Amino acid sequence: MWPHMRSAYNLARWLVGNGDDAEDIVQEAFLKAFKALDGFRGGDARVWMLAIVRNTAMNFLRSRKQDVAIDLDQFEPADRSPNPEQGLLEESRREQVRRAIARLEPEFRETLVLREIDGLSYKEISAVLDVPTGTVMSRLSRARQRLLIELAPAKEVRHELP
Amino acid sequence: MNCRDAETLLHARLDDELDVAGAMDVDRHLSECRACAAQYAALQNLKQEIAAAQPAYALPPKLERKLASRFISPGPLLARLWSRPVALAGAVACMAALVILLPMMRTTNGTSAIAGEILDNHLRALQPGHLFDVESSDQHTVKPWFQGRTDFSPPVPDLTNDGFTLVGGRFEVIHQRPAAAIVYKRRQHVISLYVSPSLDGEAKPTLQNLGGYHLLHWGHDNLSYWAVSDVASADLRDFSNLIDQARGNSR
Repeated sequence: MWPHMRSAYNLARWLVGNGDDAEDIVQEAFLKAFKALDGFRGGDARVWMLAIVRNTAMNFLRSRKQDVAIDLDQFEPADRSPNPEQGLLEESRREQVRRAIARLEPEFRETLVLREIDGLSYKEISAVLDVPTGTVMSRLSRARQRLLIELAPAKEVRHELP
Repeated sequence: MNCRDAETLLHARLDDELDVAGAMDVDRHLSECRACAAQYAALQNLKQEIAAAQPAYALPPKLERKLASRFISPGPLLARLWSRPVALAGAVACMAALVILLPMMRTTNGTSAIAGEILDNHLRALQPGHLFDVESSDQHTVKPWFQGRTDFSPPVPDLTNDGFTLVGGRFEVIHQRPAAAIVYKRRQHVISLYVSPSLDGEAKPTLQNLGGYHLLHWGHDNLSYWAVSDVASADLRDFSNLIDQARGNSR
């Protein structure tokens, strides 16, 4: 087991979109990290690791020049409601939210993923993405605004009486 | 503060990134401006929805093994990481090695040393203000809180209907390993459930009694559990069964 493997893989998946490429990215990033360890001057190892993953993913995407299609499967198991009907509703809402995140532009998506999934602080996110904290805040603001709009009309099925 | 300033600061408030004075400024504006208050409520709701959506991809076990065999077995990286001044990161790295080593080293003696540590931790947590890092009866708030803090996903089922109320969670280090401590209440009795990854797989529940407290330890599905409380031992056994069931259901 390696520290931060989980966060590294999750970030890679959200950036490159599919499991095979994400696995390659993570392995390459860990190899880079391993070689560059002498250059690691302390600080937060997770931030350092995630920055390497992110740079590796960016290089990969630049070389490929294709649009990223994000596969929305193979998530960590969610807590399921004991009531099957309720469970289906929750699952469909989960899918909506994930799909909305997948539709965000890359810079908004990565910022949101680091904040909402990894729980990184603005300062940590700014170190991973190499942008000022003000930019982190404005990207989060725009990402969430986008999500609010996408998810806004609460998609309830109305059962009208005949 | 005007609404323009508030627009982005709402996010900083939501993410707990403001100092006390900054947070108070935003709160004052929210109490005066309905539009911003509504926006803030929408953002809070969105944050909850994202957490409930569990948008974290699961690490493929194949990749985990590959990385482990490639980078961990020679051990130099972890050794070098330890020597760096990274206390927290170090603790996480420690876990990796300990998860592997601990089951091999564990003796009956070791187990009871852990039991003592767990009980101490539980007793300390019962002091005012020490019980939670995250206080909520909502599993969708407590469970995601552990993401990024622990390298595993602890089960945080809602057991209200079974008479165990979720009250919150906190991050602990038990025996040099990161552990998720999840806090439930049975009537007025507090139960701390400590969860950490384990390689010893299944372990039958064993009950110990230390100073009037019951400690139940078991291993299931690659997680190691310790439940500690002053409830009746039968209640604690029920509790452990419910946790295992919930974990089974979420697969």
